[in-house]
Amino acid sequence: MIEFIDVDKTYHGSDAPIHALDDINFKVDTGEIYGVVGYSGAGKSTLIRCVNQLESVSAGQVIVDGKDLTALAPTELRVTKKRIGMIFQHFNLLNSKTIYTNVAMPLILNKTPKNEIKKRVAELLEFVGLSDKASQYPDQLSGGQKQRVGIARALATNPSILLCDEATSALDPQTTESILELLRKINKEYNITILLITHEMSVIRDVCHKVAVMENGKIIERGSVFDVFSNPQTETGRRFVNTVMQTELPAYVRELIQEQDNSQFIYRINFISKLAVKPYLSQISKLYDLDVNVLFGNITELQGVPFGNLIVQFDGSHDELKKALLYLEENNVQYSEVNTYAG
Amino acid sequence: MLVSWSTIFEAFLETVQMVSISFIFSVILGLPLGILLYVTRPGQILENKIIFTILNGVINVFRSLPFIILLVAIIPVTKFIVGTSIGTEAAIVPMVFFAGPYISRLVESSLLEVDEGVLEAADAMGATPMQTIIKFVLPEAFGSLIVNFTISIIGLVGASAMAGTVGGGGIGDLAITYGYQRFDTVTMLITVVILIIMVQGLQSAGNKFARVVRRR
Ligand SMILES: Nc1ncnc2c1ncn2[C@@H]1O[C@H](COP(=O)(O)OP(=O)(O)OP(=O)(O)O)[C@@H](O)[C@H]1O
Ligand SMILES: [Mg+2]
Repeated sequence: MIEFIDVDKTYHGSDAPIHALDDINFKVDTGEIYGVVGYSGAGKSTLIRCVNQLESVSAGQVIVDGKDLTALAPTELRVTKKRIGMIFQHFNLLNSKTIYTNVAMPLILNKTPKNEIKKRVAELLEFVGLSDKASQYPDQLSGGQKQRVGIARALATNPSILLCDEATSALDPQTTESILELLRKINKEYNITILLITHEMSVIRDVCHKVAVMENGKIIERGSVFDVFSNPQTETGRRFVNTVMQTELPAYVRELIQEQDNSQFIYRINFISKLAVKPYLSQISKLYDLDVNVLFGNITELQGVPFGNLIVQFDGSHDELKKALLYLEENNVQYSEVNTYAG
Repeated sequence: MLVSWSTIFEAFLETVQMVSISFIFSVILGLPLGILLYVTRPGQILENKIIFTILNGVINVFRSLPFIILLVAIIPVTKFIVGTSIGTEAAIVPMVFFAGPYISRLVESSLLEVDEGVLEAADAMGATPMQTIIKFVLPEAFGSLIVNFTISIIGLVGASAMAGTVGGGGIGDLAITYGYQRFDTVTMLITVVILIIMVQGLQSAGNKFARVVRRR
């Protein structure tokens, strides 16, 4: 578990002080994959680096597994850091050492007996699929392979938390997908809490359970991936969601909204999971005296579950519409009326 | 030619002796100081303004003295350490005072080349400052250290020739006493050739070693 309580971080640079973290309060529960997204300079790296105290906070507390890291003495802090694994955008491997030694390093620092190290490293390399690379050097590996080494190294001491600072930002989409798959596997098999930061919403969509949106050192929005994707509350949140699924209404829909008369109603309908395949809309047109017209829509997969977003126009009387909406409610289909530009 | 080949060979051995002994002592002095400079530098793992400023200043003082001046200036120190200011042993003292601070600077710059990210990884793993230096920084800087040590040892070959002027012995001494003071051009040429070969040999050996270390 990770908890930030009233955390502030100010950098005193050469000129004006930079408020990199501004009153951060949030909590990552055990076993969760929590994503933080934001534009460059939002403070994401600063945030994640406070979790293992690569960066000290200016005010507030950072609680990891019940301990306030900001109050720990250096020796205790070093012990705690071994319970927190971290992977980096540029991998940060030792180029002068073999893959074996790189993965073994956290154990070497712990003075773990050689035979135990050997066993554990073999296990880890097997887990990340690099058993055959043990005696090679990092510069002989591809980016994706290097990140796998980074992951194996981060897991060496059986941490309860894994921090990922833009872990896939230097990788191509396909390699990114395989690394994300590996993160999911780590989370599932070892129940490791993962905090990851990224500027790619697709990463959040593909692996995270929860998401926080950062801007100017503040968390401006957060919630389950479903909630934020289906109903982003902030302009920045909306823009990020829009990078992976279009929720912005196309111009022709906006025109229709302007022109709608008393017998036309435009609704946004979100559906999740198996609901997506059920023909609710055709049911509505059969059961009630309404014409159903799908104006716009898309379906995305969120954590392996289809998530649909449709803009639908109902044509008919107000009474019939009421009945239809009730029908949607009974079937747990989320809907909201669209009547503004923003939708 | 006024000197025999065996005299030349003897002088060569003296040079080798002066250079290698002073190199070893210079590394013993310069490596820890270079590491200390690196770790106490502002923003580094054991940041310490006082130690860094003092060390930095002292090293700059030594680094700003040309060897020929240093040679003469520290004669009292030399006398105190080896009991005399003339001869091969006496030459080693100023050579160490010359190369030690030089090496500490080069070591510092080699260590500064190590990727920030590696330090970050060490920190994230909970490495102690000692472990960070020994397990992360030094291995990563090894190739660059070899290159810089090669530069310093070649600097010492040059210094050893100058040390000859105060009766330090070696190839330099030979060149001064015969080549310069007695106009023995042949001896002069031979010493020049020997110095060139030494420097070339050291340089290519250093390069080779650095390549092996860096695996490219
Ligand atoms: N060591 C530092 N000294 C001074 N200012 C810093 C330092 N590190 C970060 N900052 C500033 O703090 C702010 C937040 O930086 P941070 O690196 O956390 O952003 P980020 O969200 O990770 O951005 P990016 O996506 O570009 O990595 C920026 O304005 C940055 O310039
Ligand atoms: Mg960053």
